[in-house]
Amino acid sequence: MPYAFAQRVGGMGGSAIREILKITERPDIISFAGGLPAPEMFPRTGLAEAFAQVLREEDGLALQYSSTEGYGPLREYIAGVMRQKGVAVTAEEILITSGSQQGLDLVAKLFLDPGDVVATELPVYTGALQVFRSYEGRLKAIPGDEHGPDPVALEIVIRESRPKLIYLAPTFNNPTGMTVSEARRRALVVLCEKYAVPLIEDDPYGDLRYSGIPVPPVKAFDAGGRVIYLGTFSKTVAPGLRLGWVAAERELVARLALAKQGADLHTGTLVQRALHRYLTGSDSGGHVEAIRREYGRRRDAMAGALNGTFPPGIQWNEPEGGMFFWVTLPAHLDAAELLPEAVAEKVAFVPGAAFFPAGGGENFLRLNFTNSPPPLIGEGIGRLARVLARHWSG
Amino acid sequence: MNIFLDRTHGEPLYLQIRNQIRQLILCGSLPPGYRLPSERGLAGLLGVNRSTVTGAYQELEADGLVESRVGRGTTVKPQAGGKEGGDPAGRPLVWKHLFSRQCNRVTSPLISDIFEWLNADGVISFAAGVPSADRQPAREFACLYGELLSRRRNILEHSPTAGYWPLREYIADHMAQRGVRTGPENVVIVAGSQQGLDLIARVLLEPGDVVVVEEPSYLGAIGVFRAAGVRLLGVPVDEEGMRVDLLERLLERYRPKLIYTLPTFQNPSGVTMSRERRLALMQTAYRHQVPVLEDDAYSELYYDGIRPPLLKSLDPGDQVIYLSTFSKILFPGLRVGWVVAPAEVTRQLVLAKQLVDLHTNTPAQVALAEFCRRKLLAGHLTGVRKEYAQRRDAMLGALIESAPPGLAWNRPQGGYYVWCSLPPVVTATRLLAATSERKVVFLPGDAFFAGSGGSGFIRLSFSACDEETIRKGVAVIGEVLGELCRRSANEEKEKRGGADLMPLT
Repeated sequence: MPYAFAQRVGGMGGSAIREILKITERPDIISFAGGLPAPEMFPRTGLAEAFAQVLREEDGLALQYSSTEGYGPLREYIAGVMRQKGVAVTAEEILITSGSQQGLDLVAKLFLDPGDVVATELPVYTGALQVFRSYEGRLKAIPGDEHGPDPVALEIVIRESRPKLIYLAPTFNNPTGMTVSEARRRALVVLCEKYAVPLIEDDPYGDLRYSGIPVPPVKAFDAGGRVIYLGTFSKTVAPGLRLGWVAAERELVARLALAKQGADLHTGTLVQRALHRYLTGSDSGGHVEAIRREYGRRRDAMAGALNGTFPPGIQWNEPEGGMFFWVTLPAHLDAAELLPEAVAEKVAFVPGAAFFPAGGGENFLRLNFTNSPPPLIGEGIGRLARVLARHWSG
Repeated sequence: MNIFLDRTHGEPLYLQIRNQIRQLILCGSLPPGYRLPSERGLAGLLGVNRSTVTGAYQELEADGLVESRVGRGTTVKPQAGGKEGGDPAGRPLVWKHLFSRQCNRVTSPLISDIFEWLNADGVISFAAGVPSADRQPAREFACLYGELLSRRRNILEHSPTAGYWPLREYIADHMAQRGVRTGPENVVIVAGSQQGLDLIARVLLEPGDVVVVEEPSYLGAIGVFRAAGVRLLGVPVDEEGMRVDLLERLLERYRPKLIYTLPTFQNPSGVTMSRERRLALMQTAYRHQVPVLEDDAYSELYYDGIRPPLLKSLDPGDQVIYLSTFSKILFPGLRVGWVVAPAEVTRQLVLAKQLVDLHTNTPAQVALAEFCRRKLLAGHLTGVRKEYAQRRDAMLGALIESAPPGLAWNRPQGGYYVWCSLPPVVTATRLLAATSERKVVFLPGDAFFAGSGGSGFIRLSFSACDEETIRKGVAVIGEVLGELCRRSANEEKEKRGGADLMPLT
């Protein structure tokens, strides 16, 4: 029987990430492609204890239905963490989600009608784009520079396109690794206030800072409640748990909870309680510290390898945190065309065009440094350098 | 007009000039019609080349912020968006105005309320359809999680969007034993069957489409369909399930996109569709080429030894989308369910799921797969079937003992629910208001009807309470209902009596 799918299905294409993840599964390839944390850093033992304790001690509650907003003590804990970052929120302003991907989907569902505009910087995380597209939203780029989106340009975009939402990943951005300055953050919030536009602050990497001075989240400057903050435990604990949160005004949390109720009733009771037990019980702060140290080492290894092996004329950022180097090739090179050659050399990356939905970005590539130990980073960058060198000589 | 240039900054001077003038225009400091200084004048003022200012003005003109005319110089253009956008004091944010149409169709917080009642102290709840807390294999899962987390390499990593392969294999085998020809590639793991419903609605339904539902039907599904903006057509249910004889005409006239049915131990009515009806439903659906969504959370919970065939097993044309969950047969806190569907549909479901949560929580899937592989699920089911049968019998017995005249109910052969129809003088919500004062709650029938109706029914769930509690709770309902019936009979009498005495003027 021919199925008549909904219109929005056309907006749900297969993604470049999906194809790339297939490549990275081959064990002989050194992959700088995925955005993955290092599996050897997952707190296996701590989590195993936490799950077992919750199941033994919590009287069956861990296996029952629970509230859509999330497990109360976990919401409290997250609110506390947010307050330490300078964001004044209470537990009632936190909604637990099945990863920050769900947070994004719920916010898009809450705001977007077909044809509505979402303003975002370019390049941009593909997973976010696809969500906006699935609600038949239209994207509008916010011009920017190496300090992030330009407030003046954003104001023009707001006036001309009247976006329903602004989407930003302002801290250790995926893919550029860039962090928006504090002054710019304040300016962005002022604009959101002035024009009554909600801003999604997607912050999966904020805890992964290896050097430099911490910048508070955009939401820390958000006295008017315009910012919808998305957080996740995928990078600091483990991605397989699918646990994240939204921090927003109460009224929004209530509406998002209604949407979530229709989407999946609530996030798993057991996994929420186990995570809470892990975060409050064992030395989870020490764990994040250990991740930072190790990822910092890996970043330095990649920076060293890039400096040592890449041909002149290629530029890249030095990220102070997060997971990515963003590399600029000379304008005549197309990273997507280089990828098959790289895979033949058994090294993989993500071509920059994947982050430019309206075309362009061919001469960029994204390198993940967190998922490979330093010796492999050195080896992989060396292989990549050989591929690039071929295009220099001829 | 004050402009400050920072020559140590990397930004070209012409851009610094453009950006600052832009800012002044946009925040309203330079009103429409304002004449900018001449290029030569501003260049002199700032100590830059005239070409620098020319460049800045050209950019501003390209931005649509200013216009240059010979003889008039460069002036600020009126701004789109008018005054309100330019009000520097900002506007108060009325979130409601920003919400999408879809979101505004979502209103019912009923399911959350059910969970709140469930956890309230001292309340006897027949409201929520939750499994028995006394029968949960928490210890087995504690051991499994402990063991798997330390031994399985990938258990904390991302897993495929369609689900953890060994779990999909187990489910495909399990479905095959129930007569469904399928393979693991046609199984999609979802975060509970609610997500299955949501994803199916996303990939199949447009606002304005028509969906056929049973009357009554599962309230969570009604909510999803309403949110999708579809029109719901109700088909009544009798003791043999959906009135398929009424379906034909509806399909012809309204060309629905989907037929939604809970054919086995239906939520809320407890009714099971007969085999003849199942065959007739499939024939009708084939004739009109309408997909059927079979929601089957309860069919493994049969208490009289009879397990009816799945619709999906009577579907050689592969037109049934099958949905089930571990929530009722095992426990709901893991949020794991599954869909079995034609490849064309599963492909779209997986794409949609990737957008909503990437994949279902990996350790929950790995632990469940292992639990099933070790045949612990089969053992668990044998145990709960026995226990739930006793609870059902306790509830039916208590109803016979304490029901006032006019209350009628069915005898479900499985599942969680007894569906009662009230004497016509009392509505379900009125009864609930009265019993909840005595700390006994249930669900009024209204929630299960797509249209109006249902106020004459209540749903009693027997799965979560022990037999003693069931007897106590049902006795309270019986007493309260009897009291309400007497009271309304008296009111009726008084009303009539009063009318007799009043002189008509």
